[in-house]
Amino acid sequence: MSLETITTLPWVEKYRPKTLNDVVNQEEVITSLMNILKTKAVPHMLFAGPPGVGKTATAHAFARDLYGPNYMEDGWFVEINASDERGIQTIRDKVKMFARQIPMGGEISFKILLLDESDQLTDDAQHAFRRVMEQYSSTCRFILAANYSNRIIEPIQSRCAVFRFRPLLKKDIIGRIKWIAEQEKLEVDDAALETIYEFSEGDMRRAINTLQAAASISRKIDEKIVYYILGYVSRGEIRKILELAMSGNFTQARDELRKLIYVQGLAGSDIVSAIYRELFYLDIGEEDKLELIDLLGEVDYRIVEGGTEEVQLMAFLARLAAKSKKISVGR
Amino acid sequence: MPQLWTEKYRPKKVAEVVGNKDSVKAFLEWMKSWEMGKPAKKAALLYGPAGVGKTSLVLAYGREYGYDVVEVNASDWRNEEKMKAVVGESSQYASLDGYSKKIILVDEVDGIAGREDAGGISALRRIINETRVPIVMVANNPWDQKLAPIREQSLMVEFKRLSKTAIIKRLKEICEREGIKVSDDVLSRLAERSEGDLRSAIMDLQAVAAGKNTLTEKDLEVLGERNRVKQVFEALRYIFYAKSIRGARAAIEGLELEPQTIYTWILDNAPTQITEPDELAQAFDLLARADIYFARIEKLQMWRLMKYAIPVMTGGVAVARRTPPKGFQKFTFPHKIRLFQQYKNEREIRQSIAWKIASRLHLSSYKAGKEMLPYIGFIISHADKSKLRIAEYFEFTDEEVEYLKKIYGGVEEKKEEVKEVKAKKPVKRSRGKS
Repeated sequence: MSLETITTLPWVEKYRPKTLNDVVNQEEVITSLMNILKTKAVPHMLFAGPPGVGKTATAHAFARDLYGPNYMEDGWFVEINASDERGIQTIRDKVKMFARQIPMGGEISFKILLLDESDQLTDDAQHAFRRVMEQYSSTCRFILAANYSNRIIEPIQSRCAVFRFRPLLKKDIIGRIKWIAEQEKLEVDDAALETIYEFSEGDMRRAINTLQAAASISRKIDEKIVYYILGYVSRGEIRKILELAMSGNFTQARDELRKLIYVQGLAGSDIVSAIYRELFYLDIGEEDKLELIDLLGEVDYRIVEGGTEEVQLMAFLARLAAKSKKISVGR
Repeated sequence: MPQLWTEKYRPKKVAEVVGNKDSVKAFLEWMKSWEMGKPAKKAALLYGPAGVGKTSLVLAYGREYGYDVVEVNASDWRNEEKMKAVVGESSQYASLDGYSKKIILVDEVDGIAGREDAGGISALRRIINETRVPIVMVANNPWDQKLAPIREQSLMVEFKRLSKTAIIKRLKEICEREGIKVSDDVLSRLAERSEGDLRSAIMDLQAVAAGKNTLTEKDLEVLGERNRVKQVFEALRYIFYAKSIRGARAAIEGLELEPQTIYTWILDNAPTQITEPDELAQAFDLLARADIYFARIEKLQMWRLMKYAIPVMTGGVAVARRTPPKGFQKFTFPHKIRLFQQYKNEREIRQSIAWKIASRLHLSSYKAGKEMLPYIGFIISHADKSKLRIAEYFEFTDEEVEYLKKIYGGVEEKKEEVKEVKAKKPVKRSRGKS
């Protein structure tokens, strides 16, 4: 079984908690939800917290516990991802379609709609959605999941019970990874665990993905393997761009940057974050580093202000190239 | 697979080369003399305006007669040492058994005439003396004085602008192959504006006709005047080489192009025109500032900010560029536009993969593409094939699996490209995965 499953299912799916009892590390939230389950008086809810801490999984687990294992097939529960549904109109249409028909034969009179990444909705869309919430509240309850509750407008927040998911601690992540490793009969040494944790930045999904990728090359997982994977899946591309710029191949760095933006479709803000992570480890003087950190902050701000992502990032790369050149001349 | 039609319809055989029959004949005879073992001249210099088939002839010949065409771009090397490494070596490995016959193709040879490459020319001269394989050079303008020694050594083959009828004929063939209905009038207009440059005519055709079933006079309206491109190149030269901000600003006045359009040209030509890292950083600082002005103009509809954006972007690169670039650096079409063409397919495959992941893993397609796709790509590429069900789980198509393997599978994928005629720049190999 376990040999098979290494490559059969994504582990983030396989080890997704099925019931509220399976959800780890969110005791406060789970206790409240259990109480709600007992009374079956489900309010609109806002799940707020960083990525990869179990918001979506908890919503599913809650619905399964409430409606039973066929909670989706029987039409009790549906999820919409706000970042994929552009425009409030599609959301309204979808919501209406879903909420209008009351499923027959249950003791519960309402369905549940999960609106994931709801902080991606524009203000206008949120205001429209608020009315939808009111209109259909007798037949449909909403769970909104969001990274930042402050991006959800007040009128929505005030209509929701807000649940704060706390960031996962080191022991939570390492504990879960160890447990999965046991299930999958893997040997993961401590340094590898440490590295997986450090890179995950508290995101369980990322940690589990890294473990599964490592398991695809070896049952014995050490730090070296983890770094090898990280080179492929994340740090590799950004680091390559920075190195190209630093070694004087500006046009190549530019071309790679553009591929990230226009082929992979990465958001400028995510590229900025990734550069930020790498910046501390670059082979340049501390004073220059500081200047570059400051510049990167400016780039970050300008992108939000409406600046073109590639242009602002190119300006950063050009400055990085100039700094690196001084270093190599100095040697 | 979206592909530039100029590549797709490059002649595969010599007979398909359009026009310039005498020049083709001269080239064929010269190659024949190589086959017989005693060429009167060891090199040929094909010269003439752009887009008339000089390079295509050599590539088609190589393909038809079984030669490897080793292509070196003049901007790739600047001095004798490099020249020897790239050209010299190939020229000494002529095979006598006919197993791998070679032609060395030196593109843009007029580009090395600059003072920085003086060593390059004399090295080329020596290599021509010693070569055992045909060397073909291509130039727009062969009359630069620095090329005199090479002219003496070479068979000079002139290419002329193509006739309108020849261009129309070729465009018609392409339209037939692409299943596009089009009248002779429309093709005639395209041919007209190309001024004998078949490549630009095909470029225009693709720009207005790709994806359409019929092409009408009206579709041509989107095309700017062809010589506008020439004008832009001209303007760029003025901008980058301006002595004053006033001069740089003036250079774009006659262009009748949106400042934002000119901006993309400046942006993408800056790295080749400004080679000193400090100066380039300064130029980009200013270009980034201009970008912010554009954003504010857009957002606040505050058009009067344009008067700051323009001198900042034009004067910016002029002031920043203090050191002249090494050797000849021509101005080019914005890289970004080419990139979009080139990677359209890849982008679509990636999106499709992301959607499939998103729908099964409760994620937005963006997060799926960013957080899951690389891992799944890695697993698919590295796990034992017999147990590979993850692709089935997501219902990826073969094409999608191939894509993931190519990107996350390892370093082998690039070999094929190199083999295929174009000897890529030897210096700039990308480094291994970190």
